[in-house]
Amino acid sequence: MPQQLQPAAANVYAVVFRVLFWGMVASTTLFALGVFRALQHPVAIPLANAPLLSVHATWQGLARLDPASLMLAATLLLILTPVVRVVLACIAFGVDHDPKFVAVTGIVLAVIVLTVILGRLGLR
Amino acid sequence: MCKSPRSCILNAPLVMLYSLHFVAVLFSVAVFAGFFGALLGVGGGIFIVPALVLLFQLPVKLAVAASLVSVIATSNAGGSSYVEQHITNLRLGMFLEVFTTLGALSGSILALYLNEWLMLLLFATLLFYMAATAYITRHHDDRRIAAGGYGDATPDAWSRRLSLSGNYHDHALDRQVDYVVRGTGIGAFVSYLAGMASGLLGVGGGVLKVSAMNRSMNVPMKAAVGTSKMMIGVTAAVGSILFFLAGLIHFYVVAPVALGTTAGAELGTLVMNRLRSVVLKRIFAVLMLYLAYGMLAQALALRFHLVLPSLGS
Repeated sequence: MPQQLQPAAANVYAVVFRVLFWGMVASTTLFALGVFRALQHPVAIPLANAPLLSVHATWQGLARLDPASLMLAATLLLILTPVVRVVLACIAFGVDHDPKFVAVTGIVLAVIVLTVILGRLGLR
Repeated sequence: MCKSPRSCILNAPLVMLYSLHFVAVLFSVAVFAGFFGALLGVGGGIFIVPALVLLFQLPVKLAVAASLVSVIATSNAGGSSYVEQHITNLRLGMFLEVFTTLGALSGSILALYLNEWLMLLLFATLLFYMAATAYITRHHDDRRIAAGGYGDATPDAWSRRLSLSGNYHDHALDRQVDYVVRGTGIGAFVSYLAGMASGLLGVGGGVLKVSAMNRSMNVPMKAAVGTSKMMIGVTAAVGSILFFLAGLIHFYVVAPVALGTTAGAELGTLVMNRLRSVVLKRIFAVLMLYLAYGMLAQALALRFHLVLPSLGS
């Protein structure tokens, strides 16, 4: 039968909402700043694959509000938001003593880790 | 098949001035995609990929990569709102994410090595399928809710074991809708396929998941939309990670697209729970048919040099 929302479930709802909301706010801010900076000095951009900046170059670019670095950071933040949501949901299920869903979210995290490993090792 | 992911797009030397006009058009297209994506529980990628390919002549792999990132944006925006309203079934969503992420991983690996025309053809096929499904099932939801059919079913073993059933308050009908989740096997299988479509074609795969949850798992349309909206974020993240590491994400294109889809998704979620399912499905079917035709024409032109009459796309 359908169930009412338990306090433990409400915790997970709250955690998931906060992660998604603040991830959206942070990445949107960085994207908006990046576009604004890019429009200050419009350049011609090739519509082909974009070169990846190194971590060092990205940090330096962020310090001087370089548009490419801002957009890269925003993209990374955006990609990481649902990943962090899964991590925190896994922890919230653990705190709420729900081992079945700790396992379920753990499998999702394992797939994400496998994706990163495959991406770094083989797909260049 | 291409020798490497990058070698597939080297024949695309188009250069575009990053002007206010360019950004404004990209942003507007993305707002539209995000709005309808949120209404229908899809990521908006189903609109973004054809728009980037047909309007901006972007290579399909870059369009897919940009679309995947925008799908995450709509998921964060729309997903958070549906979670706050408790329309999302978190437990069901997280269970199905196991299968969508596995599908996304296989789909995005395939996408990196597949020829452009084949991707376009697959995309067109998916759009035709979605249009047909939305139209055929347009009255399904209202009738079942009116008959109380969603709450009368018997849960299957996995649904019972993982407590996947739920309820939400439907503002359009002004009543609480209880539902019992069943058919987890078929749901898991379709979720894998949806994940694969996501990684391969840059879509959220939401329409497959919404359809499977609604028709096979006894989940009302709006709960299916809310749950799908949350799931597509992590599904698209898997594909995005691979595309990012392969250097196929164009940040200058992604930025206005992500901003537009976020704004559109926020708007869409505000009105979704106040509209009737039948209206949503009718709009969706017409849009899908139009885009399917455009993508099919592009695929045939690329592979066989066949020119189909233009419908303005």
